[in-house]
Amino acid sequence: MKTPNNPYAPKLARIVETEMENATVKTFRVVFEDQAYMQSFSFKPGQVGQLTAFGAGEATFVINSPPTRMDYLQFSVMRAGEVTTALHMLKEGDLVGVRAPLGNAFPVEDMKGKNVVLIAGGIGMAPLRTLLLYMLDNRADYGDILLIYGTRSPDDFCYKADMAEWGARDDMKVVETVDSACTLWTKCVGLVPNVLLDEKPSPGNAVAVTCGPPIMIRFTLEALGKLGFTDEQIITTLERRMKCGMGLCGRCNIGEKYVCVDGPVFTMAELRELPPEL
Amino acid sequence: MSQLTELKEAIRKALPDLDLVLGWREGYDALHAPPYHIRRQEDLEHLVFGPMCVNNLASQLMHLRGKKVGIIVKGCDARSVVELLQEKIVNRESLVIFAMPCKGVLDVKKIRRALDIDHAREVHFHNGTIEITSGDKTSSVELKDVLADKCLRCHYPNATEYDHFIGEPVEPRVSAEEAAADPAMEELAGMDLTERFAFWKTHMNRCLRCYACRNSCPLCFCRDVCLADSRDPHWQSQETSVREKWMFQMIHAMHLAGRCTQCGECERACPVGIPILLLKKHLNAVVKDLFNYEAGIDPTATPPLFTFKVEEENIKEIEL
Amino acid sequence: MMASLFIVSKDIPQWLAAMAKTRKVFATQRESGAIIFKPYDPGREVVFERESVTSCKEAVFPQTKVLFSYFVKKNPETGETAGVAIEESLNKPAPQAVVFGTRPCGTKGFLTFDRVFDCDRIRDPYYTSLRERTAFITLACDRPGATCFCHWVGGAPDDPKGSDALLTPVEGGFLVEAVTEKGEELVNEARSLFAEADEKRREEGAAVRDKAKGMLTPKPDLTDIGPALEKRFRDLDFWEDMTAACVSCNMCTYLCPTCYCFNITDESDGQAGVRLRTWDACMSQQYSLEASGHNPRPTRAHRMRNRVNHKFWYHPKEYGGVISCCGCGRCVKHCPGSVDIRRILLTALERKDEDAE
Repeated sequence: MKTPNNPYAPKLARIVETEMENATVKTFRVVFEDQAYMQSFSFKPGQVGQLTAFGAGEATFVINSPPTRMDYLQFSVMRAGEVTTALHMLKEGDLVGVRAPLGNAFPVEDMKGKNVVLIAGGIGMAPLRTLLLYMLDNRADYGDILLIYGTRSPDDFCYKADMAEWGARDDMKVVETVDSACTLWTKCVGLVPNVLLDEKPSPGNAVAVTCGPPIMIRFTLEALGKLGFTDEQIITTLERRMKCGMGLCGRCNIGEKYVCVDGPVFTMAELRELPPEL
Repeated sequence: MSQLTELKEAIRKALPDLDLVLGWREGYDALHAPPYHIRRQEDLEHLVFGPMCVNNLASQLMHLRGKKVGIIVKGCDARSVVELLQEKIVNRESLVIFAMPCKGVLDVKKIRRALDIDHAREVHFHNGTIEITSGDKTSSVELKDVLADKCLRCHYPNATEYDHFIGEPVEPRVSAEEAAADPAMEELAGMDLTERFAFWKTHMNRCLRCYACRNSCPLCFCRDVCLADSRDPHWQSQETSVREKWMFQMIHAMHLAGRCTQCGECERACPVGIPILLLKKHLNAVVKDLFNYEAGIDPTATPPLFTFKVEEENIKEIEL
Repeated sequence: MMASLFIVSKDIPQWLAAMAKTRKVFATQRESGAIIFKPYDPGREVVFERESVTSCKEAVFPQTKVLFSYFVKKNPETGETAGVAIEESLNKPAPQAVVFGTRPCGTKGFLTFDRVFDCDRIRDPYYTSLRERTAFITLACDRPGATCFCHWVGGAPDDPKGSDALLTPVEGGFLVEAVTEKGEELVNEARSLFAEADEKRREEGAAVRDKAKGMLTPKPDLTDIGPALEKRFRDLDFWEDMTAACVSCNMCTYLCPTCYCFNITDESDGQAGVRLRTWDACMSQQYSLEASGHNPRPTRAHRMRNRVNHKFWYHPKEYGGVISCCGCGRCVKHCPGSVDIRRILLTALERKDEDAE
């Protein structure tokens, strides 16, 4: 029996496809068991969901497929702890629990008509994937799109098929970079913030969106500052340990804001208003 | 020169070469003296010493590894320091020990019960009695009725390992044999298995899993990676059942077998009065029987469970 | 408020028995020397002279709450998941409950829960179902102790806020005043045990309350505590000094009547499992530790900063200036290191004009 509006109760969803992105990241495509629910389900790019591996628990992931493609919901899971390890054990046909959508989204309306610079590091590409696909599906609404995506080594890239497709398009620019040179890699070498400085995107009528490990974010923000981007023009999406996803359980707070409900998307201007505790 | 003045003088001289000195300061009333860090000469004015200095400052040494630390110890606290030295958790070279001979510390819970007070404005110690002023009422109680249990059976009032010994050594209150005779242990030993299980079940039912016992223990050094919190591997359920609480306390006790110096911080820290020190005392008694060993006495000794002999004298494997 | 009534001490067990017929009753009781809040056991005496170590939040926010149980059905041939049956615990309605004899400070703790768990943004069905079924019969405090500071945060020893009935200890028994209809009902169910309180008793009750208020120490002005804490945010030396005695255990948060942080975990046994909501503590290192190994609050100083800021800065900022501390002093009184939150507040206020380096 179900209590209506029980915010803790996950909805069952079936895994229709899985894909190993790299050694530690596995992507799941899931569809709600309840067809009517699946049809009425809506979300905005950047919103997150709680995935349940029954027996191990819940963890938070961004929905990295865009709302413009609703055949399934896609989540990418990096193996790091109890829940993610259990999720990695699951395969096509297995059931997971989903509580979604949670949190806020990228300001895709405000971004219309602007040039967009996407800067991703490692698994930080996941939230930017949903945003990018959304923009590509509404291509006329947005200006120039530049994607800078860096990982430690060539093997670490996620969404390799997408990358090939995006790289082949003539209505956006893709720069793939790895931290240090290695054999068979003919593309860019260098840390993301340095590559960003080399690319010199103009801050005029532009928005920069960045996601990645804390150290990359720190230097990327510095680089964006050097390029003339203001705090209002910089958007980031944060990761924090989350449990409830409803602003109740406490742990994801930064000052009085909760990353799970007030975030995960913040502009730098918003973050400057909060205590510096990242 | 009073003992406190002498102590302050010794610290004043040592402080320039140290990152900090662990001491006790005046608390919210005269019965409490919380630990604090002396970093600057002016911090010394807050330093106090007396029967209200209950905390074992050795519990902090683990956090402070890599720093040059001074520590004030009572006889029992010194045993924890020695055990930490034996286990090579702390480095003798980065430690300056100020030893205070100790006549016993207070058990605030006993005072609350004996005098029914919630506030002590003033506390005075006379020979064998303690006089406490709360509100406009002054009451007096015999010290032996409000000293911590461990102090009533203390055999080590003076630190054996130190750099500065402040004042004169005091006579142990009891002999080693008397120290070993513990009425609470005897009572427990007198129970049959069913009674003993019922005893622990009632006590453990109250446990809040707040881990004040674990975190107050000077030797419980897994701290942030304790199996009680680990989800991967998943040793313990988060459920607040007697089974889970009991499981943790058993593991806690087992990990301290032959290491615990019986400073009693675990039991003192427990907000709901669970006699968890009994578990450790029991295991220490077993270790004493098997290996004739007592923890935290000799800095050069190897704790028996840190080593092994192919043929142990008192463990007859064939009989197991 | 209904007229004052009087009940003699020896009739209290009868009143409790009357209430216990249809309700779950919680009270402060002694167990092996510890004074704790727990389900009422008629074989034990109710303790009035001291407040319980544990707070009454257990009644509306139990330490362990099963959110739901589940069973994963496997296809025996393929090993694939055939289905998952989820059974919500909300299907079993909670019994009516009475919290008896707790002090006004701790009782009020659930008002903080109300703001968080039952607001415009969200209505937590697990909390509200227990909350709606619980009545609070509170005991006015007749002797604030050294760790009490309810008056700093808008409380008083006889504050009826949040209570359904208020008891005041007088010679031989208690004055009883119903504050809400629910309270009136609880009195009326055992009306024969109560007598009208005459003027002498009423005056005695007023004197007991006045005396308790007189025992409170002067209170500081906490109007600027938010900005004062903001000033100290980057001052980690300050927080390290303030937490020198902290062992980073969960006690302060578990005893706190207003601390509501929780964990959600699955505990399973083969294909069957439960999802639990359990108390969690911001003072523990795991609380904010991320899967990547990064921890935004890596030391006890960072964690204490968050705990204090949450109660006196973040929560007031989010909820119209209301401080989420009830001043009961449990965190001070029972802390193994006697860490005193009042000292942290006063020192921050003292240094409110001083910028961090």
